[in-house]
Amino acid sequence: MSEGNVDGVRSVFEELRSGGAHAVEAGRLEEAADLFERALDWAQEHGDARQVDLALCNRAAVAIELGGGEGDLPRLREILMRNSDPYNYLAAYNIARHYELAKSFKKALFYARIARDRSAAIGRREWLAGSHNLIGNNLLAESLIKEACAEYEQALDLMPTEPTVWRARILDNIGYCRVLQGRHREGYGYLYQSLRLLRRFAAERYEISTRLDLCFAHLETGRHEHAWKHGQTALSLAERMGEADSVKNALYLLGEVENLRGNVERARSHFSRLQREYFPDASYLPGFLLAVDVRKLINLHA
Amino acid sequence: MSQKVQQIQLVGRKIRQLRKDHKLTQVELSQRLGIQQSDLSRMEQGEYRVSLDTLFRILAEFKMSMGEFFEEIAEESIKPRDVRLIQDFNTLPEDAQREVEDFIAFKQTQRRRSGEDSDE
Repeated sequence: MSEGNVDGVRSVFEELRSGGAHAVEAGRLEEAADLFERALDWAQEHGDARQVDLALCNRAAVAIELGGGEGDLPRLREILMRNSDPYNYLAAYNIARHYELAKSFKKALFYARIARDRSAAIGRREWLAGSHNLIGNNLLAESLIKEACAEYEQALDLMPTEPTVWRARILDNIGYCRVLQGRHREGYGYLYQSLRLLRRFAAERYEISTRLDLCFAHLETGRHEHAWKHGQTALSLAERMGEADSVKNALYLLGEVENLRGNVERARSHFSRLQREYFPDASYLPGFLLAVDVRKLINLHA
Repeated sequence: MSQKVQQIQLVGRKIRQLRKDHKLTQVELSQRLGIQQSDLSRMEQGEYRVSLDTLFRILAEFKMSMGEFFEEIAEESIKPRDVRLIQDFNTLPEDAQREVEDFIAFKQTQRRRSGEDSDE
């Protein structure tokens, strides 16, 4: 292949990857998956081994976010074992993310810490920030709230200060921790900053989590109208995006809002739908949730 | 101790009591629930919040009917009347909430004074 051709191939490759990265940033994961798949095809046909690894890590990252990516795990582990390769950060990060979504939080923590160490070793601040955020997610899922918050704060410090979707997601995480810690005023500050950024970038997929956390925060402080508004928006977005866990949390929170507002029938309707669609064997669930306030037991980020 | 902490600890105690009633070790129950034994231990100590999935797995494991699980907790923590009072309070504007708080403070002072009088 001539040098000109190599540059051309690299430019097509980088163009596809860059398009994929933008689609991820905006939460358009299906589009990103398609672009990264095409980047991988290009790399396999024209590129070198490192480009193939990079494209594979990118494709796996999106597949994992979309609930798949199981088939890529052996290749990711293989990349991770090649210590000299900077892309092994991406492999560790993706494996950690896979375990996080599979709710194996301890395994996820193990790989997230590898990702943190590798990104620190190569001095990539944005990767290090991503690793701290991922460690925070898994600590939070394990109810280690103070420790999780410390990780999120480190992530935020390492992030560039300009507004990004990534920044918004970290702000959401810190906000939720603060609400759980009873520091509601601070929590609102972070959560509304997050929402403003996400709306600016039209990142609807990521808006779901911030809306759910705002719903919970307002519920905790007795502002039921605001809680309802955010819960309802989160539900609509989660239904549209097919985010089952978020639909579950939204139905639960909306039921709780209606119950606390004294609208028992509306509360029952949300709880019944939650039971019908997600816990079909638990016929007691609507009555149970109407009678018992489980807010202090529930972790929306677990 | 805050009511929030108390309530989570009561749930933890209830889980431990139910586990023992069912003659299960922490290892056995955690395996059935698909969680780590260390997490169950923290749950029993009231240090662990769970997802909706995990909460309903616990209830299903003990085949609990509505209210049974939380009967003890409801008795020891917030009663429906308390919830209603808080809800009503939250519907008031800020200045009215302050008036209610002042009135409560006044009644508490009055009560303390009458206690001091009767001590004398």
